[in-house]
Amino acid sequence: MPNIDRRIVFILVALAVIIPMLLSVNLPVSVSEPTQKFYDYVEALPAGSTIMIAFDYGPSSLAELNPMAKALLKQCFDRDIRVIAITLVVDAPTLANALIQEVAAEKEAVEGEDYVFLGFRPGPVQVILGMGIDIASVYDTDYNGTAISEIPMMQNITNYDQIDLLVDFASSDTIESWIIYANDRYNQQIAAGVTGVIIAQMFPYLQTGQLVGLLSGILGAAEYENLVGAPAKGMQWINVESFVHLLIVILVIIGNITYFIYRTREG
Amino acid sequence: MKRQVPLVLCFVFGIAMIFTQFSPHSFSQGIYEEVIRWALIIGPFALVLATVTLIQTHTARIRRRTEHWQYSFVVFAGLIVMVLIGIFLKPQNPMFEWLYNNVQLPMDATMFSLLAFFIASAAYRAFRARTFEASLLLITALIVMMGNVPVGDLLSNDTASKARQWILDNPNLSARRGIILGVSLGVISQSIRIILGIERSYLGGGD
Amino acid sequence: MDFWSLIGIWVAAFLTLSIYSVLYRDNPFYRFAEHLFVGVSVGYGIVLSVYQGLVPFALKPLWETVTTGAPEGFIKLIPICIGLLFFARLSPRHTWLIRYPIAILIGYGSGIAIPNVLRANIFEQTRGTIAPFAEIAAGTLSGWGVVEAILMVAGVICTLTYFFFSVEHRGPVKWLSKVGIAFLMIGFGSAFGNTVMGRVALLIQRVDFLLGDWLRIIS
Repeated sequence: MPNIDRRIVFILVALAVIIPMLLSVNLPVSVSEPTQKFYDYVEALPAGSTIMIAFDYGPSSLAELNPMAKALLKQCFDRDIRVIAITLVVDAPTLANALIQEVAAEKEAVEGEDYVFLGFRPGPVQVILGMGIDIASVYDTDYNGTAISEIPMMQNITNYDQIDLLVDFASSDTIESWIIYANDRYNQQIAAGVTGVIIAQMFPYLQTGQLVGLLSGILGAAEYENLVGAPAKGMQWINVESFVHLLIVILVIIGNITYFIYRTREG
Repeated sequence: MKRQVPLVLCFVFGIAMIFTQFSPHSFSQGIYEEVIRWALIIGPFALVLATVTLIQTHTARIRRRTEHWQYSFVVFAGLIVMVLIGIFLKPQNPMFEWLYNNVQLPMDATMFSLLAFFIASAAYRAFRARTFEASLLLITALIVMMGNVPVGDLLSNDTASKARQWILDNPNLSARRGIILGVSLGVISQSIRIILGIERSYLGGGD
Repeated sequence: MDFWSLIGIWVAAFLTLSIYSVLYRDNPFYRFAEHLFVGVSVGYGIVLSVYQGLVPFALKPLWETVTTGAPEGFIKLIPICIGLLFFARLSPRHTWLIRYPIAILIGYGSGIAIPNVLRANIFEQTRGTIAPFAEIAAGTLSGWGVVEAILMVAGVICTLTYFFFSVEHRGPVKWLSKVGIAFLMIGFGSAFGNTVMGRVALLIQRVDFLLGDWLRIIS
């Protein structure tokens, strides 16, 4: 069967992104149940609660995870929920720090009182288990080098017992490590925001309650922005995404029609 | 010394971690916590391995003048600049952050975004309903793709997102659970083999 | 916008376009960006591993032990010395010494995995598969929910049967296995559909950067 030059497909994909982006298409986004569960869990936390957010992704996944992380941080700061941010991924600290500072500045959150970024420590499993014993034994300072004993919001926090929810924004198997070692061993409640590649494998954990909620890639980000009432890149990009998905579906259908025509002709 | 001691160390640390997790006694918990501290301290040194391997690979490329060997100098240039600035000025330094935000981040993000083009091209060229199983895969993928975007609901009167959610919650869940159970049994059996010294591939070759 | 931010955007745009140029064909711009990416990423990783790993876990305790001479500090020197054995990789004659820290990390990792993976991934997942039947017995799950519960058990059993290679796949086992393949195909189809969403999002982000931050065509 004939095959068109793949560069024509590349051009079509590029156009399917550029044109809707220039036109600013805005279609409504409904909210799926796992996203609603995530949102409801955070909403049910009283003011003064503490959430630990693990920014377990690097630049290669920021498109999907940054928008949802922003929406969650906005919700936390609006509701006076304190945020302890960490990362298990070596190429994440600069990215995570910038994101937190950006949202904190917008919401006038105070570093050390409303939020703290502890940074990166190598060895995901031992970091997760170590924090179950004593967070200070893993992070003796925050990312900027301030001793953890001098950070006001860390005064009454020793380990997972004082963390009301752990949110892992994950692009790899860190989420499974959190489930296996923090949820199972220390009974830490966990919610996740994950990249498209690993969405499908999260559903068994969602059904058992090992995950209390799930944000699914850029769709989850758009849904969460919708719930938080702060539409931003997630909403914008999921609309652009519509046209590329449509294009790929059409390409698959055309590919199959031509395949069947040629197969019938060739007997 | 070369093989027996590592096997003994592996056995001792493995068994210690299993037993201390089942005993709430303070002595047992003391050992558990101490081993985790040891792992936290030893772990970071492993970066030496990755760095040395990268340097050796590119040094060999330059020495042997393999195809495009000149670009290995670019690898070293990027590495040296980042390390010098980062080590001397610390990672929080604006110059180091500038390099991360304007050099590393865009390249990393762009490199992975190339897959969007290749996935579209592959979908057109190779995603065929040749068999029953392939058709199932194809139809599921199309439903999930349309259910993932608002235009899918617009065209199907909200059916696409509901169908996607049902697939993920039911048949997908069963398949994934089967995989999780299978892989986990494999992890456990492999861990037992490692602790007992039956599986020794981590020791590498040589005597 | 300050000067360095502007330069940064232009550098980022140049590198982004250099990488996209491979879509036309392999070329020096792409190869340059590709190699620079490797070097810069590893360099960043080294710096962060030093400041966020070696310094707090090894160098700081080492310094404190040396300066204060506290006896408890010397216990920490044991894992530090074991960790230092990774440097044996630099000497071909002593490379075998890295087996010590590797053996400790692998032994520790295996020991920690066994009970936790067993509980989280075997017991919990099995409980999750059976739990809906308790709801059926209690009368809290009915109608379509019952069908879904049966479908879930059937799916898990059939998928596991497909992976069960200790018996020959003939007769009923073959049919169970075939149904298992069907479930797996639906699982992989779901993964593919979601992966497309993920990869396209990455592209959209880069185009957003090029059209917004760089060319300023969109807000």
